[in-house]
Amino acid sequence: MLKHLFKLIWKRKKMNSLMMFEIFFSFLILFAVWTLGIYNYRNYAQPSGLETDNVWVAFFNFNAPNDTIQAEYKELVRQQLTRYRAVHSFAFTSSNAPFTFSSMNNNVEYNKKSTMSEIMRVEPDFPKAMSMKISEGRWFNETDKAGNYRPIVITRHLKEELFGNESAIGKTLGNGEGAGANDPKMKVVGVVDYFKHKDDFQKLSSCIFQPSERWDDTMVMKVQAGSGAELEAQISKEVARLGKDWSIEIQQMNNMKSNRNNLVLVPVLILLIVCNFLVFNVALGLFGVLFQTISRRKQEIGVRRAMGATQGAILWHFIGETAVIATFGLILGVFFAVQFPLLNVFDVEAGVYLLGILMAVISVYVLVSICAFYPSRQASVMQPATVLHEE
Amino acid sequence: MIHLKNIEKVYRTATVETVALNNINLSVEKGEFVSIMGPSGCGKSTLLNIIGLLDEPSKGKVEIGGKHTNGLPDSQLAQFRNQTLGFIFQSFHLINDLPVLDNVELPLLYRKVSSSERRRLASEALEKVGLSNRMKHYPNQLSGGQKQRVAIARAIVGQPQIILADEPTGNLDSNMGNEIMDILTTLNQRDKATIIMVTHDENMAKRTHRLIRLFDGSQVS
Repeated sequence: MLKHLFKLIWKRKKMNSLMMFEIFFSFLILFAVWTLGIYNYRNYAQPSGLETDNVWVAFFNFNAPNDTIQAEYKELVRQQLTRYRAVHSFAFTSSNAPFTFSSMNNNVEYNKKSTMSEIMRVEPDFPKAMSMKISEGRWFNETDKAGNYRPIVITRHLKEELFGNESAIGKTLGNGEGAGANDPKMKVVGVVDYFKHKDDFQKLSSCIFQPSERWDDTMVMKVQAGSGAELEAQISKEVARLGKDWSIEIQQMNNMKSNRNNLVLVPVLILLIVCNFLVFNVALGLFGVLFQTISRRKQEIGVRRAMGATQGAILWHFIGETAVIATFGLILGVFFAVQFPLLNVFDVEAGVYLLGILMAVISVYVLVSICAFYPSRQASVMQPATVLHEE
Repeated sequence: MIHLKNIEKVYRTATVETVALNNINLSVEKGEFVSIMGPSGCGKSTLLNIIGLLDEPSKGKVEIGGKHTNGLPDSQLAQFRNQTLGFIFQSFHLINDLPVLDNVELPLLYRKVSSSERRRLASEALEKVGLSNRMKHYPNQLSGGQKQRVAIARAIVGQPQIILADEPTGNLDSNMGNEIMDILTTLNQRDKATIIMVTHDENMAKRTHRLIRLFDGSQVS
């Protein structure tokens, strides 16, 4: 029967090519949406490695004339914050604290291997404020300042990139191109498994935590659950009063994360809407073409029924024919889609593309079956005597 | 072989009721070659469709080969048509997108017959109608007479006991019409096929064993 279908389709190839191309384009759109969706979902499903609930980010502007005075000002802030029972922990960080719109990165080297990594300067209490867990080694502390190397904690992603399966603890990293001659080498003292600092959909990435510098004026603080605007206002008011021309802005990290997430979600949502619209149009097109085809083939349907085809056989004949046409369109589509993993376009794992292809193929077959079902059903219930007489 | 009892067929719309067949009683014995004649719209094709199980009577009983067909489910009717009946139509009703051989194979597609066996049986059927040299041609490459011969090959490929021909010579000139009648006569005489043929042509009807005349849905002779 399949051979019979192929013959019919091949003979009507010009007529079927329109449907084939519609299916080809639908596949490409669905492939893009599924791949993007799978890519983001897989990233989302990874642990974030930090907690943002009840974490606030404070942006200070000390208007200090130099770093030494700023360091003194920061000490005043520390002393003030320890007075609030609702503030459980806090740590100054560089301006690229998690979920800010700021980024700082540099090349790092190990045994001639070089890679780009985010650099985040943080105080030792940073993991406590962010509820981060160290998976290997330890976090750096005040005693590390005495050493010749700058102590760093790295993410597992960076560890695997530079050291593979070897332990990273105790290894030293060189600063990449552009580093100053006096910049100390970095020694790994700890590894964290996950650290999503941009948004929930960020893929596993390289990040280096190194001790904070005097000029760092951003702070993360963990506050007691339920603390709200009242505490925020109190801290802002009382801290600002500690120095002349100081300003402080406090934001909830959950809100900051939500804003960053929206930057990922909104384009996906727009793409989904566009995709739905296009697929709906394709479905309508398919529906129309199938209705027209069946209407033109009434005589054939009558003959097949007279020759012994059951209603079910007619139904499956047309669904099968559409499925075979869809398969041709899909073969073309898959040919283009597999180029993405083969050429490693966009630096996305091959598995994501392959799953995207699989889901798009399933979606097209479901779409085609739905579109083909009703016209095919109409064909199957045609009265053979009537349609043969019409011809 | 075929027994129709008190057959009535009424087409109803919201406002109009048309009686296509009225109290038809008909018996056709095995091996008979029967023709049905009558003016246009008298119910000839409707009667043939009812015998061919392509349509159901509004009233009455249909018995073919000892089996009552009224109320049979679609699957059984389809199987019955496939195995017991062969159809020949006035306008041939060949599938233009399939070669002659595939057209002839069509009834066998709905049976559990292997591809090679289908090819063999279809080739044999085409040989019987003298078209073995046209197997790979498409219907639109054939003359009217050749198309009808392909249709006959398709009707006989499954070796049915009954052949139903609806004006098989209606679209052909007299020479070709005679050729087709020769083939039908041979099928009747040599293969003992029971044939019921609707025709407008007295000369063709004279070549059959028995003539049934219809007028306004009723049997008049």
